[in-house]
Formats: sequence, structure tokens, C-alpha cells
Amino acid sequence: MRIGPPAKLGSCTSLVNSLLVPPSSLVYRAGELSLLQTRKMVVYSFYIFDRHTECIYSRLWARQDRPISSSAASNRPISTSSTASGGNTLVPDLGPARARPARLSAQDDAKLIFGTIFSLRNMVRKLGGPDDSFISFRTGQYKLHYYETPTSIKFVMLTDTQTLNMRNVLHQIYVNLYVEFVVKNPLSPVEHPGGEGVANELFELALDQFVKGVL
Amino acid sequence: MVNFNEERVVYALIIINKAGGLIYQRDFAEGLNKLNINDYLVLAGTFHGVHAITTRLHPLHPPPPPSSERPDPPSGIEVLETENFRLQCFSTLTGTKFLLFTEPQQPNVDKVMGKIYELYGDYVMKNPFYQLEMPVRCEGWERRLVGYLRVLNSR
Repeated sequence: MRIGPPAKLGSCTSLVNSLLVPPSSLVYRAGELSLLQTRKMVVYSFYIFDRHTECIYSRLWARQDRPISSSAASNRPISTSSTASGGNTLVPDLGPARARPARLSAQDDAKLIFGTIFSLRNMVRKLGGPDDSFISFRTGQYKLHYYETPTSIKFVMLTDTQTLNMRNVLHQIYVNLYVEFVVKNPLSPVEHPGGEGVANELFELALDQFVKGVL
Repeated sequence: MVNFNEERVVYALIIINKAGGLIYQRDFAEGLNKLNINDYLVLAGTFHGVHAITTRLHPLHPPPPPSSERPDPPSGIEVLETENFRLQCFSTLTGTKFLLFTEPQQPNVDKVMGKIYELYGDYVMKNPFYQLEMPVRCEGWERRLVGYLRVLNSR
């Protein structure tokens, strides 16, 4: 989805910059993180799930050597409904996926991630009380950070294992990017079936800059 | 003034066998909600499944190593952090999982886990009456485990 004609991209960029720079806390945090972190942190991927359990946005930064059809390569949101409407381009190749050590398609990854965070969130609520929420988990290979808004929009980020707590980063993405560029966008629908309206130019640009700035 | 005694607490231990069945559960301190035994069984099964899924979620796919050497299998969840507690998961080579629930700030959880595994080896696995993969009901294990964690919690 385009916000304006391509000729206006320059002004869009400056708008993004002007919106991104002012919060002083944010700039401070980025500096603080880079001071604490001697080793460079790596962000692998980022997902947004809406309250209907659908993946409305996904973004992969790390080099992917898996056979992805088109979804991740073009940075379009991957979701079940867009598969249904999008025709063959998003349907993963089932051949290698059936084999035992095969890689999963990006879509399946999003589904598995949702299943994981959903189960863990319910488990944590059961044990820690209804106000408790899980912040992150770590395996030997990666770390998953989780932030849920009161409206049940879930933000998930996968990073390397050395990364510190990214919950406030996810919160900043929600407040400064999602709300500004997706919720306040007059052209974007209230709900985002199939990721409609989320992956607009401003949001993607700002997200890219933000993640690069934080690291 | 922060009470340091309250900051370093081991709340509970759960042991899950390799099939995802709950074989041991015990609370050591107040702090987590009490569930009934069915909920604990469901929780153990759920965690077993989630643990298996998380081994497959690694976003990078390193090139396969030469066939002569066997790569380490990917590990599932090792640490889960929430606002109220921290869950450390230790998965043995045989697939048994030890889940230790502690305060978020608890130090040296690895050491505590190692000691618990040692006790498990000594007083459960070496117990001739213990049947593999069945619920743990061993008096010696129970006594030493509670003794060890009581000392730890009261420090």
C-alpha cells in the first residue's frame, strides 16, 4: 500500500526522521544499549499478531537461505488469509517441508511462533496470576522477546541470545511506529485482515531505521 | 528497603519425563498460584510440546557440518522470564526435563539445578524400587531435596 506517489518519498523520509528523533528517552536508550553491549546484537525477525491470532506483519532481517517463495523476499506480510486470496505465490513448496530435517516455510514459522507465545502466555498467567505476562525466553540458539498491548496486539522479536531485555524496544515500536503510521493512517482499516494496511511505506521505513538505530 | 531474603527464593520444581508426563511437582515457597493436579499435568504436557516447537524456530539455518561429526541437537527453551518469576529448564540427554521456578533475580540457578540433578541421580535413579518414567515417590530424595532447598531459601 502506497501512502503517496513515489516522488514524495524524500519528504516521507524526513517526516519519519522528525517523528523518530524527538523522544529523548528513546535516543538515550539506544545509546545506553550500545554502551552496555560490546558485541553487536543481531535481530533476526519481527512479527505482529492481531487479536484474531493472525500474523499481520512479519519482517526478516537475517539472511535466509531457506527456499522462500516470495513472501519474505518482498517483505509482504504473511498470513493465512493472504494465502487464500493471494494465489499460488505464497503457497510453500511442500516437497522439502515433508522431509524430516527440512526447513519450515516463513508462514509456518509465524504459526509456530504464535502457538508458542500463546501457550506460554497462558501457562504464565495460570502460574503467576492474571497480571503476570511473559517477557522473553531464550534457547541455545536465539532469544524471543514478547510484548502484548492491552488490545491484544502481540509484538514478537527474535534476536541472538546475548541481547538484553527488548521489551521497552517493542513498546517503543508500538507507540512510536505502529500507532503513528498504522493506527493513525486514515487509509488503513481498523482491523488488518491479511496484514492489510500494516506494511505501508512509512511503517517499514521507520521500523528499519529504528531497529538499525537501536542496535 | 528491599528484603533480600524475599528476593532469592526457589518457588517450585517440576520434573517431566521424556514422553511429556508429569512425574514430580513440589512447591517450596509461596509465590506461585496453586493449581490442582490436573492443571499441572496439562502444564507439563503443554510445556513439553512448546519445548519441542522452540527447537525448530531458529531463524538462521547454518550450513550442515561435515557428515563425520555429529552436530549438537538444537536446544529448546532454557530460560523463560516473566514479571513475577523465572523458569529455568534443564533438559537431560535422555529427555527428562527439570523445571525450576525461581524469583526473577535468583543467582546461580545453574548450580542449584546441578545439585538437584545430582540428588535425582543419587536418590531416584539409584533407588532399586523406582520404575523409570513413573511418578517419583522416593523418601530419601524428598527429604534431601526439601532439606537442600529450605537452607537455600532461608539464606
